[in-house]
Amino acid sequence: MQPLTTRRRILMLVVVLTVATPVLCPAQSASSDLEAQEEQAFKQAAALVAPSLVRIETVGGLERVDQVLTGTGPTTGVVIAADGYIISSAFNFASKPASILVTLPDGRRLPAVQVALDKVKMLTLIKVEADNLLPPQPAPKDSFKVGQWALALGKTLDETPSISVGIVSALGRIWGKAIQTDAKVSPVNYGGALVDVEGRVMGILVPLSPQASGEVAGVEWYDSGIGFAIPLVDVFAALDRLKQGKDLFPGLMGITMKGQDIYEGQPTIDRVRYGSPAQQAGLKEGDAIVELDGKKLVRQAQLRHVMGNKYSGESISIKVKRGDAEHSSELTLVDKLVPYESAYLGILPVRPESSRPAKPGATIRYVIPESPAAIAGLARGERIVRFNGLELATPAALLDLVSRQRPGEKVTLSVVAAEGTADPRDVEVTLRSIPPTVPLELRPAPMAPREKELADKALALGHFNEKMPAHEHEYWAYVPQDYNPDYKYGLVVWLHPAGDTMEASMIKAWQTLCDERGLILLALKAGQIAGWTPDESEFIHDAVEEFEKKYSIDKSRIVLHAFGNSGAIAYQTAFKHREMFKGLATIAAPLPAPPPDNEPEFRLQFYLASGDNDPLHRAVAGSVKGLRDMKYPVVQATIADGSHKYPPAEIVQEIAVWVDALDRI
Amino acid sequence: MNLASVSLYRVDSTNESNQSGGDMTVKRLGITLVLIAASMAAISPVSPVYAADGPERAIERVSRRVVKIFGAGGIRGLHAYSTGFLVSPQGHLVTVWSHVLDDQSVTVVLHDGRRMEGKIVAYEPQLDLAVLKVDGDDLPYFDLDDAVAAPVGARVLAFSNMFKVAAGDEPVSVLHGVIAARTKLSARKGSFETPYTGPVYVVDAITNNPGSGGGVLTTRDGTLVGMIGKELRNTQTSTWVNYAIPIGELKTVIGQIIEGKFVAKTETSDDAANPRRYAAIDFGIVLVPDVLYRTPAFVDGVIPDSPAARAGIRPNDLVLFVNDELIQSCRMFREDLGRLEAGDTLKLVLRRGNSLVPVELPVEKKEVPEIKIDTSSSGETEE
Repeated sequence: MQPLTTRRRILMLVVVLTVATPVLCPAQSASSDLEAQEEQAFKQAAALVAPSLVRIETVGGLERVDQVLTGTGPTTGVVIAADGYIISSAFNFASKPASILVTLPDGRRLPAVQVALDKVKMLTLIKVEADNLLPPQPAPKDSFKVGQWALALGKTLDETPSISVGIVSALGRIWGKAIQTDAKVSPVNYGGALVDVEGRVMGILVPLSPQASGEVAGVEWYDSGIGFAIPLVDVFAALDRLKQGKDLFPGLMGITMKGQDIYEGQPTIDRVRYGSPAQQAGLKEGDAIVELDGKKLVRQAQLRHVMGNKYSGESISIKVKRGDAEHSSELTLVDKLVPYESAYLGILPVRPESSRPAKPGATIRYVIPESPAAIAGLARGERIVRFNGLELATPAALLDLVSRQRPGEKVTLSVVAAEGTADPRDVEVTLRSIPPTVPLELRPAPMAPREKELADKALALGHFNEKMPAHEHEYWAYVPQDYNPDYKYGLVVWLHPAGDTMEASMIKAWQTLCDERGLILLALKAGQIAGWTPDESEFIHDAVEEFEKKYSIDKSRIVLHAFGNSGAIAYQTAFKHREMFKGLATIAAPLPAPPPDNEPEFRLQFYLASGDNDPLHRAVAGSVKGLRDMKYPVVQATIADGSHKYPPAEIVQEIAVWVDALDRI
Repeated sequence: MNLASVSLYRVDSTNESNQSGGDMTVKRLGITLVLIAASMAAISPVSPVYAADGPERAIERVSRRVVKIFGAGGIRGLHAYSTGFLVSPQGHLVTVWSHVLDDQSVTVVLHDGRRMEGKIVAYEPQLDLAVLKVDGDDLPYFDLDDAVAAPVGARVLAFSNMFKVAAGDEPVSVLHGVIAARTKLSARKGSFETPYTGPVYVVDAITNNPGSGGGVLTTRDGTLVGMIGKELRNTQTSTWVNYAIPIGELKTVIGQIIEGKFVAKTETSDDAANPRRYAAIDFGIVLVPDVLYRTPAFVDGVIPDSPAARAGIRPNDLVLFVNDELIQSCRMFREDLGRLEAGDTLKLVLRRGNSLVPVELPVEKKEVPEIKIDTSSSGETEE
């Protein structure tokens, strides 16, 4: 449709010119006249917008932002309200200048203040004390056409605006945010205006990048023929919020999507972040999003297009398909997703024994010193029977309820004395974060010797080698000789580093500890001893399941243990099977990828050790920080004078106590 | 407005090659090169309809007057080629003064593929200008008196031997664009690492590439406008700038060189460019410690009874302008004060709270001829 109109207009133009100009050769004069007229139109358009363009100069500030040298030269802004509001590219203030100066088109120089930053469109609103400024006429969005003339105007080089002539290359770029133009866009005109040939402002010139965000992202494309502008009408839509001095942030729902290919397949929710707007709206893992903000979705990329223009604080409607049913809800987007942090009371419960039925609730085996429980005066032997009025059946119920609280929250526990039949007393406790320490003074839980014969006489005890049925994998294990199935044992799953199963040294390091602390050591061998492959996570999972069938294993104390390059498979397996693994203890093994969200229903604790002379020491420290940023409980151990090797006995001992205390609540 | 709306659209039926040129972008080394009419073959079958000054004819005419220059370079990534243009029928040609001319003679290739030896006649580093001579008579040339000035927004063509894509008898590459701005190459010394600080045309096409220096900028009908400069990075914005020097700035010197009347000026030394005649303390101003790369020039204290005190300068004032030039750091303030001479008036604009306060201070003759520079600032000169 468009080409037809174009052609018709050209025809009309040629006809008009032919009639109007008395020259011999119509085609030739039409051509040169048209060029002259176009040039005239460019100049007129620039002249129309010039009274709305200001020059911005900054004083002070950082030399570099994200490795990019920040400029010191003047930049451009566009008047957006008569009472002194000026919009510009956030790039121009990336250096966080001490002072901003604006030169108005009439030559007045005024100090300016930053009012607010729009982190979605990468624009900054500034204000000067002036009245009767002249905002430009915005071009309506429905007038934007790919192929139309577009002039990029800046105010940095001279008193009159600089002009670069191009066309509109595309619309709705960078997830629906920007007009793309082949006019030259660079620090010379960032913050300036992209103008149509009628002198209406289509947009504000900004550097943008489809991959990165931040003030300087996209600068590497300057003058390349790929330039971007945020539609001025969109700027006006957000202006009232910006004027209030509030920075605007991208709106987040709190979901991650399944699948790597954003152009293929219905967008399906992979994870819903705990406490996020999505969770509050009742979205669930596996929900297929069929409609967002009134737009039908069939692939993930469309979801990004809708979200690309959404600010935090805005509401959005969402329709998901769960099974055959459709659910609609409305959620309010947030700017930040707070990582979930589980709370902690500071007790170890008495573990259930199959020979002695436990009383309802959680009997306290040990109160960790200086913990909230200790401060509240709870004592060993007491039994917690109610949590905020809810009856507790088992210690697991207490753990689940405490994990769903946040540190700092006050809860009321009903406690009965160790002996006696008095009514429960109510204790108020202020919960805290799980401390990054191991309660080293914790003594092993008493375990009575085995009295009966084992039901399965063939059950292997001590140090033995086996082969996994169903898998082509071998393993070796150590089960205490006095194994008593009346008790629950902790399970340490050892993943050897590439090329060395370390069988002899591991047995030496762990045998006594297993006997003392009631632990079983399960050492799995990679299919190729030379190293683990990512798909072996399933083998590890199946091996643990197999062991749980044979032996009495405490589900709250199943941990993975890795050294060096087996860390990668250990982290991967722990995060993949969070329902199975409650802890991960690594030696000299940094995280291979950023950790996923912490989740209250699957509490996962970490113990990261590394030698201070190990080249990986700093990377491990970085991993500790990464995990703590996501609010995982992490114990960090530094091995003094330690190189890249398996740690000495005192560290192994600490790991064993840490495993023993994993069921702390 | 009427005019504007009809001009929105391009005429498809005419001027095919140059009108559509804007869409044929070739991305290379982060630079978009727009090549139009890259071969003579594309131009020759032009129909008689275009007999007047259409861009095709203009391009053919200009291309015959532009030459390719091959000389020194090739080491450390320096290109060994550039561009020049003929300014006399006897073979005088103009180019930029660059490392390509480090040899006494260079090879000049004319539009028709003729190779000639070019000898340097003279150069003027202050203008980034060199004049060469090849043996010839009756060569096509630009008459410098025909050169024109172009307004901002005017459409222009740029001709150069960029990236030496033109080989043998191929004409140089042509780009199109508009004059984006007319400005001084540097509003402030140090913005650009070039001796030329005069007016330039900034072009919105990527005209300044390896080998482009010495090319020509013309109007759409082939009238000479400027000489394309070297590749330059704008240190204020850390971006490459595409510029050409107006012929009007070069014409006199070129004429003098051809007539043999040119006398090169002696170069000014760096010391002369960066004197340290005055410091803030001479006016009674104590600045905040200069700890950052760009410490804003805040006044930390004012010495009683000093010129600064008499002018009403107060602690916490931020010095924004020195003699109408924006200063962005203590360092720039020091440099500007260093260049003052006795008898000048030091005009400052201060930011106090949210208002701008202009003050003037007399620059008095210093009693001690030896300039004492406080130690806090002496370490900053190495930046």
